[in-house]
Amino acid sequence: MSTAKAFKRDILIAVDDSENARRAVTYVGQMLEGLPDVRATLLHIIPLPEEDYFATDEERERWLRRHEERMAQLLEDYRQVLIGHGFAPENVDVRAYQRNCPSMATCILEERDHRAYGTIVVGRKGLSRSEEFLFGSISSKIVSYARNCTVWVVE
Amino acid sequence: MQAPLTDQQIRHLAQEWIPSGAPAPALRLFRDTSDFYDIEYGDVVVLEDRPFLVRHNAKEGRFGIDDEVKFWVKRAVDLTDGRRKFLKLVFYEKFMTRVGAVEFECFRSPKKEARILELTAGHPHFMQGYAARDARGNVVRVIDHIYGPSLLAHVEALRRRVDHAAYFHEHLPGILARFRPAVEAIRFLHDHGEKHGDIRRDHVLIDRDTGLFRWIDYDYNYRHRENIYGYDLFGLGNILIFLVGGGDVLLQDLADAKHPAREALEAADLNIVFHHRVANLQKVYPYIPTDLNRVLLHFSQGCQRFYEHTGQLLDDLERGRLAAPATPQETTP
Repeated sequence: MSTAKAFKRDILIAVDDSENARRAVTYVGQMLEGLPDVRATLLHIIPLPEEDYFATDEERERWLRRHEERMAQLLEDYRQVLIGHGFAPENVDVRAYQRNCPSMATCILEERDHRAYGTIVVGRKGLSRSEEFLFGSISSKIVSYARNCTVWVVE
Repeated sequence: MQAPLTDQQIRHLAQEWIPSGAPAPALRLFRDTSDFYDIEYGDVVVLEDRPFLVRHNAKEGRFGIDDEVKFWVKRAVDLTDGRRKFLKLVFYEKFMTRVGAVEFECFRSPKKEARILELTAGHPHFMQGYAARDARGNVVRVIDHIYGPSLLAHVEALRRRVDHAAYFHEHLPGILARFRPAVEAIRFLHDHGEKHGDIRRDHVLIDRDTGLFRWIDYDYNYRHRENIYGYDLFGLGNILIFLVGGGDVLLQDLADAKHPAREALEAADLNIVFHHRVANLQKVYPYIPTDLNRVLLHFSQGCQRFYEHTGQLLDDLERGRLAAPATPQETTP
């Protein structure tokens, strides 16, 4: 019996509206350009904002709606980036949903576990040590806690 | 159920608190507190039928906000039982805070403070109070007074009397023994998904009656990023470094005093956010045990792995526990 693990060509690219996310998408497109059978999923989890951040529920709903619209447009842009690099349109999925996410890294890793992607791709923001200490880093946490997959951190 | 007090009854109750001989003020009753600037000394705020006579606007000196007048925080008297309270009126404010070189958006959240008051009701390490809605639906917090100095004032007073060595050996073991349950109290908040949001040494009051360290002021909030409790942990680390140092140990002060440790200090020994404060205090005070100093190093620029949750800090504090002095000095203030 072979001990080699099955090689999965499913890639999960976790994105938001930052420049480093766009760099990560572009990197995947350039790196895997022309490779057949690679499936990519662009994932954006909308962290449900704390009720405290808004004076009223209406304000909160408005914020969520605007965020959803902006991200839907952005995810379509990212999808076109991959297609532009030779990904077959049917091999690029887009997933966006709202979730209560005290830790975004944990939510991304749960998505990986749920669908058993072989590779996670995230951008790195380039935080200072102070910022990472105060607020934490999604990419560092994913690198620390990811299991049964490969992690690409794109700077 | 008792009938609500009439305006006339409220005025009568309030009159008893006005000094005799003073002219009777034109007593104004506020059931809507939205315009808190308009609510002044001698006015009465009525919350869910309970009247409070406003005495002064609060200042941070004792309450936690820096010696400027806070118009949304009123010192008041509950006219139904004569108890002194703070009324924290609703003030939605968003602003940028700068911590060291890091800037981030903060906001005040009455709802958050109200939730924590409910969560910590009866907890000996938190201020006590409750939330009541005014006629407009504003979430006003009614806070009990805590009589006693802040942790900041307490340590500063001790250090005016004794040098660091005496402070460290005679007073610090007791202070740390009392600080630990306060850290456990923050873990309690985190375990319930809440953050304090503004952990500072002047946001711990030492209860004159019980000697317990008690946290105040939880209306500060910020949109957290990956580590929801990172900023709270940073606050706890700063307090710990302050306690062990018996004050802030500043590079400039060491240089001015020509302290021999100044030359030995490197960037890795400094506070990870405040780069002018020393975190590796063992280099300045060699009698600080390594286990305790190791906790401080988690808040230094040289730290390779940060604390992610309060439990890790508590475990290390346990390892760094100081032996009690032969004659305990640290007593209820």
